[in-house]
Amino acid sequence: MGSRGRDADALMPLVTECADRLSKAMFPRYTCRLFEINASEDSIEVCGTELVLRGQSIKEHLEGCQKCVLLCATLSAGADKLIRQLEAADMAMAFVTDCLASSVIETVCDEAEQEMRSRLPKSYFTWRFSPGYGDLPLDLQGTFLNVLEAQKRIGLNVTESGMLVPAKSVTAVIGVSDRPIARAKQGCVGCNMYNDCKFRKGGDHCGS
Amino acid sequence: MDLRELLDKKQFIFLDGAMGTMLFEKGLKMGDIPELLNITKPEWIIDIHKQYISAGSDIFYANTFGANRYKLAKSGKSVEEVVKAAIDCAKKAAEGTDALAALDVGPIGQLLEPAGTLSFEEAYDIFAEIVRAGKDADLIVFETMTDLHELKAAVLAARENSDKPIITTMTFEQNMRTFTGCSVSAMANTIGGLGVDAIGVNCSLGPKELMPVVRELAENTDLPIVLKPNAGLPDTVTGAYSITPQEFAELMTELIPLGVKIVGGCCGTSPAFISNLRKAFAGKRYVKQQFKPFSVCCTPANTVVIDQPRVIGERINPTGKKRFKEALLSNDIDYILSQAIEQVHAGADILDVNVGLPGIDEKQMMVRVIKALQSVTDLPLQLDSTDPEVLDAGLRIYNGKAIVNSVNGEERSLNTVLPLVKKYGAAVVGLCLDENGIPKTAEERFAIAEKIVSRAEALGIGRENVFIDCLTLTASAEQEGVMQTLNALERVRRELGCQTVLGVSNISFGLPSREIVNSNFLTMALTKGLTLPIINPNIDAMMQSVRAYKLLANFDKGSKDFIAAYGSAAPQQKKAAEPADVDLPYAIANGLKGEGAKITEKLLETQPPMTIINELLIPALDKTGADFEKGKIFLPQLIQSAGVAQSCFEVIKSFLLKSGAKAESKGKIVLATVKGDVHDIGKNIVKVLLENYGYDVIDLGKDVDCQLVVDTAREQGVKLVGLSALMTTTLPSMEKTIKLLREQYPGCKVMVGGAVLTPDYAKEIDADFYARDAKESCDIAKLVLG
Repeated sequence: MGSRGRDADALMPLVTECADRLSKAMFPRYTCRLFEINASEDSIEVCGTELVLRGQSIKEHLEGCQKCVLLCATLSAGADKLIRQLEAADMAMAFVTDCLASSVIETVCDEAEQEMRSRLPKSYFTWRFSPGYGDLPLDLQGTFLNVLEAQKRIGLNVTESGMLVPAKSVTAVIGVSDRPIARAKQGCVGCNMYNDCKFRKGGDHCGS
Repeated sequence: MDLRELLDKKQFIFLDGAMGTMLFEKGLKMGDIPELLNITKPEWIIDIHKQYISAGSDIFYANTFGANRYKLAKSGKSVEEVVKAAIDCAKKAAEGTDALAALDVGPIGQLLEPAGTLSFEEAYDIFAEIVRAGKDADLIVFETMTDLHELKAAVLAARENSDKPIITTMTFEQNMRTFTGCSVSAMANTIGGLGVDAIGVNCSLGPKELMPVVRELAENTDLPIVLKPNAGLPDTVTGAYSITPQEFAELMTELIPLGVKIVGGCCGTSPAFISNLRKAFAGKRYVKQQFKPFSVCCTPANTVVIDQPRVIGERINPTGKKRFKEALLSNDIDYILSQAIEQVHAGADILDVNVGLPGIDEKQMMVRVIKALQSVTDLPLQLDSTDPEVLDAGLRIYNGKAIVNSVNGEERSLNTVLPLVKKYGAAVVGLCLDENGIPKTAEERFAIAEKIVSRAEALGIGRENVFIDCLTLTASAEQEGVMQTLNALERVRRELGCQTVLGVSNISFGLPSREIVNSNFLTMALTKGLTLPIINPNIDAMMQSVRAYKLLANFDKGSKDFIAAYGSAAPQQKKAAEPADVDLPYAIANGLKGEGAKITEKLLETQPPMTIINELLIPALDKTGADFEKGKIFLPQLIQSAGVAQSCFEVIKSFLLKSGAKAESKGKIVLATVKGDVHDIGKNIVKVLLENYGYDVIDLGKDVDCQLVVDTAREQGVKLVGLSALMTTTLPSMEKTIKLLREQYPGCKVMVGGAVLTPDYAKEIDADFYARDAKESCDIAKLVLG
C-alpha cells in the first residue's frame, strides 16, 4: 500500500474491515501435480504433457532437479468481484482489498507447496518460479493450465494476452530434487522488479 | 425416438461416462486438444462411443466438448471440420442402435465480461458456429458451465440456430456455487425460463456431495433433472478419483427420490460405471419432484424470492431529475452507478432501470447501463421502457431473470411485450390501463388485470410471473381514487394470486411534507397486499415503513432485520460532526465524505462555487498530495481524501445545474487500460484523483481497442491521454496505441503508467510522460492542461 514498513496505524481499521470482507468473498483453491522433467539445450520438457518450458531462466531455476511441481492457485472470481464492486463504491477500500488479495494468494501457494513437501519428505524444493519471470514466456499459460486442468478443477482461465482470470491467481513451477539445491532461495537479482523496487531503493527488501 | 419421446416413455434416461478419462488411457497427452482426435484417430473415438452404447447409454456425447473457435485457434482446423468429424464418428458408432448422439458443448475457455474480456455477443457467435456445425446431432448438450451469462448465450444460440432439444448442466462446488459464484436457484430460474428440455449438474463432485445441489435444484424447477457426477473426489495431487462403479451406482439411486431423471457419469467414470448404473436403476421408478411455481427474479449470485414485500428502488430514472438527464446526455455512466450503489446501501432488493430520454439512443444506453450495473451490484433489475426494442435488447444481455416494466391491457402492448417476456423467461409488470386510459373504479382495473393474466397464461407465462400494478393516482388531484387503487390491489392479490406492484411516490405530488403522505400510503398498501413497492429507498421514512411492516406482519422473523437496521446491536454510525466543528480542509484531510458534502452545501449559500473550488477544495487536495509524497499519508488515505473532494464537487455540480450554469471543466482527459489488459484498478485510482482536481475524465475502461482511444481523443478534442498496462505482454498494445495517436492525432500528449513500465521504457515507446503513481498523473495533467 506504499507504507513500505513505516508506521501505518491510521490505516488499520480500514485494513481490518477489508480483510473481513475479502475473507467472506473469496474461495481459495489450488491444484498441483508432480512431473518428471527432461532438460534439453534451451528448454525443459515436462514429461507426459504438451508443456515445454523455454528459456534460460527456467533452465537455471531447475538445474539439478529431476522433477518439478506445476502449481496453480486462485482466490476465485469472488475476490475479483468484490474488488470490482468496491471500486465503484469506495476506491480506498478497493485498493486496500486488492493489496490484501495479492498477499493472500501467496499464502494459498504456500499451503499448496506445503502439501507437496509433506508428500515428498525426502526431496528438496526450489522457490516458486512463475511464467513471465526472467525469459520464461507468458504465452505458455494456456498449456500450463490445460495440463493441470485448471479451468475444470479450480476455475482458472487465461486471456489471449496471457492474463490469468480470476486476476488474483498464480501459476508456478517448483523444481524438485533428491539432493540439496544450491539456488534454493530467491534473491533480489532474479526478481522482475529489480530495477524499480521501492523496497530495494530504500535499502530494504520485500521479504520473499 | 428423440429426447422428448424418451422423456415421456422411459423411467430413466442413461447418458455416457467420461470421454477424457478414456482418451488418456488410450494415450492422449495432458494439455493436448482431444477434439483433434476426431480427425486423427477416429477409431479411438468410435470405440469409446461403442463401449458406452453397449454399456447401456441411451444418449452419448460426441467428442466436441472444446471444439470452439477459441480453443481450436492454433490447431489449424476449423470448428466445422472438427465438429463434423466428431458427429461422423458418433453416427458410425450408433449405427444399428437406438442411441442418440448429442452435440456436446463445454465452456469457451475465456471468461465473459466483466471478469474477462469476451463479450456476450462474441460468446453467442462462438456457440452459434458450433451449433450450426453440429446440426446432424440428435440433441444439444451444454455442460460443465460455470458462468450463467455464458450459458445464457449458449442456449440462445442453440434456440435461434437449431430446433433440436437442449440439455444444460452446470458445475457446482461444495459451497453450492459455481466457480463464478452462480447459485443453483439462479441457474434454475434463469435457464429454466429459456425453453430447455432438461436441466441439471455435472462434474466437480461425486453423487454424494452433489445431493444438496440436486435438492436445491428440485425446489427451483419443474424440468426433468440431469445428474452426471464425477467418480467421487479427485486427489489434489495425483488426480485419481475415489469411488468404484458399484459405489457410484449405489449412491446414484439415493438421488432418485429427489427427482433425478437423466443420469450418467463425468470425470473418472467409464463404461463399467454406466453398466452398473443400469443394473442399480433396473426396476426403480422415476419420482417427479413436487414443484410449486413461485415468484422470483435473480442475478447469478442473488435470487430474490417474492414471498414477502421486496423494495424496488426507483432512482435510476431521468424523469424530473436534471442531474440524471445530464448524466445520460454526457454518457456519465459513473453517475448512474452511484445512484445504484446508494440504493443498494439503503436496502433496495431490486432496482428499476429507466434510461429513456429524447436525444439519446435508448437501446444502446439500456444495454450499456445493464452491463455496468451488473458488474457492480448483485441486485436483480427491472427493465423499464415503453419501447419493445429496448426491452428486447435489455432482456437479451441481462444476466439472470429480470422483470419487465411493463405491459398493459392495450392490444399493441400485449402483442409486443408478452412474447419477449416468454422468450427470455422474465417476469412482467402488468399495468391496469388500456386503450381507454386508466379506469376510475377498482372493478374496471381488476378486469384489465384479469385480461393481462389470461393473455400471459395463453403464451405459457405463469401468473407467478405477472406482477400487477393497479396504478397510484395523485391524492391532491383525485382524492377519491386512492382507495380505488388499494381496493383493486387487494382483489388482485386475493383473487388472482398475483404479486402486486405500486409506484408509491406519485401519491403525494403537489402536497407539502410528501414523506408523511408517502410513508403512510405505503403502509396502507402493504396491509392490502402490496408486495413490490417502487420507492426511493434513500428516504429513511420509506424504508422505516417497509421494515416496520415486515416486522409486524411476521415476515421479519425474530425482528432480525429491523434490529440490524435500527437496534443498538447495529454498528454505531459515525456521528456526523456538526459542520461548525469541521471545515472543508479538515473533512478532506480526514476522509469525512458526508461532512464534506454538507459543508459544501452550506458554503454555497454564501460563496460562489468557483471560490469554494479554488480557495478551499484544490488547496486541501494539494496538501494531501504533498503529504502523500512526503510519506506522511499512504495511498488509501489519499484516495479517501479524493473521495471527499469528489462528493463536494458533486454538490457543486448539482447546484450549478439547478441554477442553469454549466460546471466549469479544467479540460478533458482520456484514460484507458490498453488492449489485452484487464487489470485496471490502477487506472481507476488515477481517474478518481484526476476527477477531483476538476478534470473531465473519459474513461474507456479496460481491454480498450487501440483505434478507439485515438477516435475518442480526436472526437472530443482531448489534449491528454493516459494509458495503463500491467503486463509485459500488453506493452505492445500501448506502443501501438501511441503510434496510432502520433499518426492520426498529432499534438496530443500521452502519459503512461503501470507496474511493468519504467521511465526509460516510456521514452522508448514515445510517451510524453511517465507517471509513477496516481499523484504524479495529476501533476502531469496540471502541466499539460493547467
